[in-house]
Amino acid sequence: MAETQIDERLKSDYEAGFVTDIESETLPPGLNQEVIEFISNKKNEPDWLLEWRLRAYEQWREMQEPQWAHVHYPKVDFDALSYYSAPKGVGEGPKSLDEVDPELLRTYEKLGIPLHEQEVLAGVAVDAVFDSVSVTTTFREKLHEAGVIFCPISEAVHEYPELIKTYLGSVVPQRDNFYAALNSAVFSDGSFVYIPKGVRCPMELSTYFRINEAKTGQFERTLIIADEGSYVSYLEGCTAPMRDENQLHAAVVELVALKDAEIKYSTVQNWYPGDSEGKGGIYNFVTKRGVCHDNAKISWTQVETGSAVTWKYPSVVLRGDNSTGEFYSVALTNNYQQADTGTKMIHMGKNTSSTIVSKGISAGKSQNAYRGLVRMGPNAENARNYTQCDSMLIGDACGAHTFPYIESKNPSAVVEHEASTSKVSEDQLYLCRQRGLDPEKAVSLIVNGFCKEVFRELPMEFAVEAGKLLEVSLEGSVG
Amino acid sequence: MSDFAEAAVALSPQNSPGWLGELQQQGRNEWQVTPLPTRKTEAWKYTSLHPLSSGDFLRWAPAKNKFTDVNRLRPFYAIEGLDAARLVFINGHFNAALSSSDFAEGLEVLRFAEADEAQRQVIQESLGSIADRSEHPFAALNDSWIEEGLFIRVAANTRIDKPLHVIYLTTEQAEAFSVQQRLFVELESGAELSLIEHFASTEEAQNSFTNALTELRLQANARLHHYRLQLEEEQALHIGGVHVDLQRDALYDGFHLGLGGRLKRIDVVVNHNGSGAHCDLNGVYLPRHEQHIDYHTCIEHRVPHCTTEENFRGIIGERARAVFNGRIHIHKDAQKTNAQLNNRNLLTSREAEIDTKPELEIYADDVQCAHGATIAQLEEKSLYYLQSRGIARREAEVMLSFGFINELINRVNEPALQDYLRPILSELFVEDAR
Repeated sequence: MAETQIDERLKSDYEAGFVTDIESETLPPGLNQEVIEFISNKKNEPDWLLEWRLRAYEQWREMQEPQWAHVHYPKVDFDALSYYSAPKGVGEGPKSLDEVDPELLRTYEKLGIPLHEQEVLAGVAVDAVFDSVSVTTTFREKLHEAGVIFCPISEAVHEYPELIKTYLGSVVPQRDNFYAALNSAVFSDGSFVYIPKGVRCPMELSTYFRINEAKTGQFERTLIIADEGSYVSYLEGCTAPMRDENQLHAAVVELVALKDAEIKYSTVQNWYPGDSEGKGGIYNFVTKRGVCHDNAKISWTQVETGSAVTWKYPSVVLRGDNSTGEFYSVALTNNYQQADTGTKMIHMGKNTSSTIVSKGISAGKSQNAYRGLVRMGPNAENARNYTQCDSMLIGDACGAHTFPYIESKNPSAVVEHEASTSKVSEDQLYLCRQRGLDPEKAVSLIVNGFCKEVFRELPMEFAVEAGKLLEVSLEGSVG
Repeated sequence: MSDFAEAAVALSPQNSPGWLGELQQQGRNEWQVTPLPTRKTEAWKYTSLHPLSSGDFLRWAPAKNKFTDVNRLRPFYAIEGLDAARLVFINGHFNAALSSSDFAEGLEVLRFAEADEAQRQVIQESLGSIADRSEHPFAALNDSWIEEGLFIRVAANTRIDKPLHVIYLTTEQAEAFSVQQRLFVELESGAELSLIEHFASTEEAQNSFTNALTELRLQANARLHHYRLQLEEEQALHIGGVHVDLQRDALYDGFHLGLGGRLKRIDVVVNHNGSGAHCDLNGVYLPRHEQHIDYHTCIEHRVPHCTTEENFRGIIGERARAVFNGRIHIHKDAQKTNAQLNNRNLLTSREAEIDTKPELEIYADDVQCAHGATIAQLEEKSLYYLQSRGIARREAEVMLSFGFINELINRVNEPALQDYLRPILSELFVEDAR
């Protein structure tokens, strides 16, 4: 079959790889106390938050970069990064849509992100984060009526200090890990969501992250609190321009699901993965964790197709009795991408249950690893976990790995883990081709089928985008 | 712990034949540059070397045995009905009186101490050629301690009918001591052997530390049935390694049984180095009381067309803790590999703990690999079924536990060995149920 055609498809461009030519205010590279004070000052933060940041910085300085992941990359020079970058004129806080630089709006239009509230794809409220700051948040009025708070975290610090004080760092402590500590010290913006008691959030909430400026790191922080009996579905998407050098993205996401609450968190991660030679791309070192109180439920769904290096383990601490954790993941790596991703399910309460479905697809010269932990604590009576990890290899130069850690201290807990690895089978391809599908369609069909269990967990708009992403990233990589 | 590391390397073999000096030196060098594993070392995450830290064990047991009548020791290791050639080591020292001296034709049994010039050459070339001491620090320590040991060779196309029963018995000494065990088996092409490695102790409180290292080379078409029984008493410390080199179409059929203890750790490494090789690896671990046991298995598929089937099962009772790590590593060229791993665990007590990690690391695309791990307790329905037929709950528990393990015991090829193991195991479960 047409090898050249396949090669071309494989080389297909990263569509979100453009740079927005916009004037930015960017800090010179380097990290020290002044930088943190500058960031804090810029946001007019209260003293306690500055102190909180400085404590994190102190701790970060004593910590070591984690080495255990199955990824290899040139070390990040933390002094060569800039820790704050904002489009000029936005730095002083979010404005109404009319005042936002039209260049910025065009960026989001190009990316297909509906910032204009009247536009279609409505029913999704978006918080757009450009480099270090939140640009705009849509549908705030409508959400306000329902009592839902959805705003940049920098704003929430001023308007809802009690909530921030109580919950910031309560799920991911400052010194949780190297990148979380770094984030705690320098986080610039991100989204804050609060759903009041018994409220079912009337629309999907969404954050769109965009790295634009060169040589910057993006450190956003998301905090979602679902009060008793509430429900929210939250979407997250990301892109970055194509650049030769690697850029760092070290975010922290904290979810708190109080009694009877449910949070559904979906991510389509499409950071720039680097070129076909493995040059450039985003280092995606992210800490995501949620805490479930009694009868609560947290569900992580992720489609990971971007980033040069991914290091990400969305986790659920099942603290309350009868709580539920879910993790659905599709991780696709191509060319020289490396992914070490998975989840942690920490069962503490009685009758807690968790489900893990992970689908890894590796193509090109990439390495794709699932790393997960299921821990049944001594009090996790009748807890239940089911884990399924499937890997698919496309081509003989890539790798697929599975590292599940399973720890149980309770005899009534039941843990089941299965993993399998295979390639797209000749038989399946043959069957499809016999029915007139070209090879690329056939592979796409098979891969989509392989990921179906995860895709059906995604909200509709995202499922479409995810399917398209897979196609772009994959089509033609089998011959 | 670094005290232990230094003292351990200073403990040199007492009557070492000089010609092994080079190997000892290599082992010492490696041991000295490798930091002693801690809980932060990935391969030792769940197993602490703390019981060794006192350094109490760093002396050898006297070669002279206090038993005037060594025949008294027989019951501690005899396997009734097993017609086998026997080799007995007591506290690390070979005992001729208890060992067979006649071996079947084609079976060469050589103690390091008895080797002549030509044989020394072969032994030197063989030892350490399979175990990677840079990965396994206690293999390096074993090299540095090397002194007594066995080299066993089966001639090409020879099938040895009688199993070879190698016994490592420890007896009580006034002071704690170390035992060095070393075995190298070479099966020439087309050879077949059944090998039972049997670790046992005589005393209730055995104050010994066994550092065991077995290397097995199977040339083309060779077949080895290997039974490694680690039945030492719970106070005895045991760190063991089994390293296998499989050449073309060779078959390794391994069965590992481990009882727990203060510190028990066994590494099994199987290298598929010739295509068409097959590895059948089964294991059972049964820690109780406050015991700890850790099995680390690693299957290296380096060449195409090899197969592995691995099954490990454990029952963890009382306040015991078991660790299982089953790694399957498919190298880039190992296309058409078929590898399956299954690990099943029963937790029978509220204070027991299991930490299991089945790992797959795959760099070739045309392979079929799968692993599964489960942790549960005895099924209430099964218990109910038995109870409804008039069987007391306790008894039903024993039956079901035993049945869980018995599936793997049934795969043992030696009927006498099966008969020997079953009562030992059911006795354990009965005791647990009390």
